[in-house]
Amino acid sequence: MEVRSPVATTDGREGKKARSVVAPEFLQREASATLAASASSIQELCRLITALESLGESLGVPDPRRTEWYGQLFDKLAPQVSGEALLVAAVCGGTNTGKSLITNALIGSQISCSVPEAARTRFPVASLPRGMADKINPSELFPEFVTVPWRSPQDGIDGYGDESLPAEAGSHLLIWREDPSGQQPTRLVLIDTPDIDGTLRENGHRARLVRNACDVIVAVLTQQKYNDAPVREFFTAAATAKKTVIVVFNMIDWPQQRQRIAGWLATFMAETGVKPAAVYAVPFSAEAAAAGRIVFHALPELNAHAKSSLVIEGDCPEGVADLAARLAGPDFDRIKLEAMKGALAVVLDPDQGAGAWLDAFESTAQQWQQARRVLGDRASVKVDLPSAPRELVWNEIWQWLEPKRSGFDLTVSKVYRVAGKGVMWVARQTGLTRSEAKSREDFSALELAALKQALTSFVERLQDTSRSNPRLATMLQGVLVEGDRTAWYADLERRHAALPIVSRDYRTFVRSELDHFSSNNPDTVRWIVTGLNVGAFARPAITVALGLAGAAAVPAAAATAGGLSTLVHHVGDVVVGTAATLAGEGALGLTVAGLKPLIETLFAGWSAERSRVLAETLHRVVLGDRLDEIDRLATAAARPEVAAARRLLFNIREFSR
Amino acid sequence: MTTNPPDEASGGGPSPEAAASLPTDFARFDELVESLEHWSRSADQWPPARRVCEQWVDVEPRLDRARRELSRVLVVGVIGGTGTGKSTLVNALAGCDVSSASDVARPTTIYPVVVVSQDLDLSFFPVDAMQARVVRSSSPAVANIVLIDCPDPDTQPESEGADRPLAIPHAHPSRPSDTNHNRDLLEAIVPACDVLLLVATAQKYRSWLVAREVAAFAPGRPLLFVQTHASRDPDIRGDWQKELESQGFMVPHIFRVDGLEAARRAVAGVTQEPEFQALVTAIDKELVGRAARRVRRTGAIDLAGWFLRESRGHIEPYAGAVRALVAGVETQQSRLEELVGRAIALRLRRSRFSWQHILTDEIVDGWQGGPFAMFLHTLKAIAAFWPRMRSAGGSLLSRVLAGQAVVPVTNTHGAWQAITELGLDESEVEQSRSILVGLAARARLSEPLVGRARLDGLAVQATVGTLLERSGAWLAAGIQRLVAERRGQIDGRIFRGFFELLFSGLLVAVLGRAGWNFFVGHLWLGRPVDGAGFLFEAFVWLVLWGFLLRWVVFARVRMGLDRDIRTLISQLPHAKLVDPLLADFAAAAEKAHDFIQRGERLERDWQSLARAVLEPDGGLGRLRREPL
Repeated sequence: MEVRSPVATTDGREGKKARSVVAPEFLQREASATLAASASSIQELCRLITALESLGESLGVPDPRRTEWYGQLFDKLAPQVSGEALLVAAVCGGTNTGKSLITNALIGSQISCSVPEAARTRFPVASLPRGMADKINPSELFPEFVTVPWRSPQDGIDGYGDESLPAEAGSHLLIWREDPSGQQPTRLVLIDTPDIDGTLRENGHRARLVRNACDVIVAVLTQQKYNDAPVREFFTAAATAKKTVIVVFNMIDWPQQRQRIAGWLATFMAETGVKPAAVYAVPFSAEAAAAGRIVFHALPELNAHAKSSLVIEGDCPEGVADLAARLAGPDFDRIKLEAMKGALAVVLDPDQGAGAWLDAFESTAQQWQQARRVLGDRASVKVDLPSAPRELVWNEIWQWLEPKRSGFDLTVSKVYRVAGKGVMWVARQTGLTRSEAKSREDFSALELAALKQALTSFVERLQDTSRSNPRLATMLQGVLVEGDRTAWYADLERRHAALPIVSRDYRTFVRSELDHFSSNNPDTVRWIVTGLNVGAFARPAITVALGLAGAAAVPAAAATAGGLSTLVHHVGDVVVGTAATLAGEGALGLTVAGLKPLIETLFAGWSAERSRVLAETLHRVVLGDRLDEIDRLATAAARPEVAAARRLLFNIREFSR
Repeated sequence: MTTNPPDEASGGGPSPEAAASLPTDFARFDELVESLEHWSRSADQWPPARRVCEQWVDVEPRLDRARRELSRVLVVGVIGGTGTGKSTLVNALAGCDVSSASDVARPTTIYPVVVVSQDLDLSFFPVDAMQARVVRSSSPAVANIVLIDCPDPDTQPESEGADRPLAIPHAHPSRPSDTNHNRDLLEAIVPACDVLLLVATAQKYRSWLVAREVAAFAPGRPLLFVQTHASRDPDIRGDWQKELESQGFMVPHIFRVDGLEAARRAVAGVTQEPEFQALVTAIDKELVGRAARRVRRTGAIDLAGWFLRESRGHIEPYAGAVRALVAGVETQQSRLEELVGRAIALRLRRSRFSWQHILTDEIVDGWQGGPFAMFLHTLKAIAAFWPRMRSAGGSLLSRVLAGQAVVPVTNTHGAWQAITELGLDESEVEQSRSILVGLAARARLSEPLVGRARLDGLAVQATVGTLLERSGAWLAAGIQRLVAERRGQIDGRIFRGFFELLFSGLLVAVLGRAGWNFFVGHLWLGRPVDGAGFLFEAFVWLVLWGFLLRWVVFARVRMGLDRDIRTLISQLPHAKLVDPLLADFAAAAEKAHDFIQRGERLERDWQSLARAVLEPDGGLGRLRREPL
């Protein structure tokens, strides 16, 4: 993967055009220039996290998209740290608590339908100040959503006429409208959100996405729904991210229940850690709700400590629109900065933030390293190939030697070759040795059996290894459980059948080895000739058998062969194939001794060539690209993005001190 | 729901037919429960079956109790989200303030309140275990039921690792709700309930937390649905019904009451509003007396059905893999059999020499009397001096052909060596086993249910030993039959007579000629005697003629031997020779397959029982299927 410089300022999220990194004015005005300075770092951090995300998914790191820090980083900091300064205020609460009603009241017109059935608002509906859509693309402000313009108050309920958008785009819609009245403050965005506790869990997810992006939350609570577990959870996260929360207790039996509110609020605050900037009560009134004219009661007894301009005295509906105006008023900078800093704190949290995710990323990558080591150590197999038919190898040597030999040698050689053939013919006719074709066939069958057995052992070893390592178990599940093993054996058989008894590769290998040997040992060339003279002389009577030709079938690296034990000289009659008496270094062994390593290499090469069939089956059919994948995951921790992200986090943290 | 005793539907007294049908129905139900018990514990080593078994451990006591306590009063648990007015409704039903209901703090009810009539024996009910407070009431609504005001399920924080949407940052190390265990308490109470009364409001009827808990409690427990806060909330019953139906419930009716108003009227002794009155009537009609038995029975049958559905959910993902394994075992068996067949056929055909011996012996032994028989016997006697070649080799086939016993295997290597002759070797067997290991893993069958691809020493000796014994026995029997058939072809008197005649013909001709020469030619016509020369010549001809006839006889016997060997080999699959090599896979697959099929059969049994026993549903809701 290409590695870009960590200071590059391009937006890493695909499909989004790069945005100029200019800190908004509210940040520049602020004495603390922390965020302004962090702006480019945040964009860069987003890019790095995005680059690592899919790798993290392959590694098995918990999905960061479900975490708070991810939401704050991508939905809040990245879109809002630069560009036009805006205050996003969202109305949130449980099902059927009257969110849409309160949003409409805050906006001053009906943007979202209010219906008796619960959990009907499925998509967030945002009201933008007039003229804003020309300056800011709503989809940049809400990067998780597909943003579409508003058509009617039904949009939040019905979606956007499902036919006009592709199905996947329709899943997270955000409907926006520019305020038609022009009353809405220019830097304020108001959003009606779906419920947070309904049976349609997608609604809750969308509400959380909106919550991540907003600076102010209008928490709509009722006497039934201020202490439910989902409600508490939702607002606890908001409090942690230092969102400004305005609490509205809806459907209050006014004024009978007024005294109760203090107790409810105390519970809510203790549970969630929310310190409301203002508390209001909205009385229950079906008629007022139907007319869309609801009354907000300020509760001075509860707002005493709020010390906020968001507290409005008096009980009139006009005060509500005023509340919206005040949000964008003198407290704008403070609210905005607090929300941004809160978001940053969530991202920087050592236990729950981005750093923790990087920790998990690295430790998981280390587990993969461990897994790779275990696999390398344990998943190997010895192939007990039958002894190579020696005449094949010797033939190759002979063919190489043919032009290099003296006339006398050739004559002697020819004489003995003819003699040898004669003896073999007799042996065959008498049934003492089998025909060459038959012996090749038998050899081939034995070899295939050995390869199959090695494949079985290898698979069993993989199985045992993956049982001891959960990472490998997940990776190899597809091979060991879902894999079509019949096809593996079929593939091995096919490859084996297709392999010529002496392949061109092997011939080249023999030639190059012999050339190499003779050029490296110019003095011993005489030895070779002598040795082969002896060999030629003795050929019909001497057979050289390989005691053990095992080649470790490590996939993709089968060219090197080891495990050779000894060359066995067998002096005896014409019986080919039974190394009954092992004479060791016999009388003739002395002369052949100089050639021993070379001949070992040649035989080993042949066996390696045969074993490569198995290696290919293992690599191509059984394991596929999983070894590469394991390799990729094992080296994930060393990716420069990880270090760069850590450096950025450190820098941002240092800055914000 | 086909049979429908009219009295039950109307909730009246028992009719003779219904009373008569009850015992048989219950016998059938008992039978079903016993089968379920036996079934769910029958294959507990197979992971999917183990999950079935684990579930059974939870379900079994409830089914058992439903059978034992058929006639006790029903326990009705009032459940619902916090603030929906459960306690208020309980107070209204009890006719007095038995449970504190308020809007001061959520949750209000922490410990359950059990409302029973004055004289009810509550010994069956685990009051202390669930930390409940018992209140006696004389209200007619609770005269014949036990009513429990349960804590809410939605104020306790989600425990770590549950399907909580997001992890909460550690902003608040200690919160008041950390001590909230309402849901745990609720989960301790609900098992004692026979019927659930689900209370919801416009704000709470679509709450996922409540829905999740209700879905967990609903199997086997009929339900009553009540929307409260009727005086101020809109009527959401239509939407709620849709929601409930999407969760798998059958919803015959939702009551819409105002708990506060009803409680007020109950205390004041004023006539209740019609909808509340309907609820009380429904409780009386659906939950009391004979109806209680029906409810309990319905609940028990529903629970058994739910258990079977859940079990299927555990097993079904692996049914295909188990079938594939069964098929795979067969494929591998026939693959190995083919190898065996090919090797045996080849060797049988190659060992003509041995065949000839057997056939010769058989034929000659059975052919007595007559000159040709004498000739054959003589030849056999002479041949006996000749050492038999190749007959007493170590190989299985030659031993079998020579009528010798199979040598038992003593070590692993020897075992593999011994079956090489049968066309099997280690690699082929391991290949089959490895393929089956993969198929078995897909069906979640692994060690120790099945073995490894590579057989260990003991297993090799055992399986190969069995294989050799079987093959030896099968071959011996097959060859014997074959020989017997062959002998049958020449066993006829006519066949023998014919050859005797042919042989005797020449003998007679020779003797006749000799007699003619002597008596007629020499004595009568006076020609010179031919001498022994003729007789010697005649003897040679006679022997040659005998050999020719013998050849014809044996040719007749050998004719079609190849075809017969093929026939013999084609019967190989019936012999199940290679089965021991794959026996563990076959057994495991068979067991899992059997488990699945028995499950399906039980589900069919349950369906027929449900059809026969369950009446059309009255006013009670039930969980009928899995959520959409």
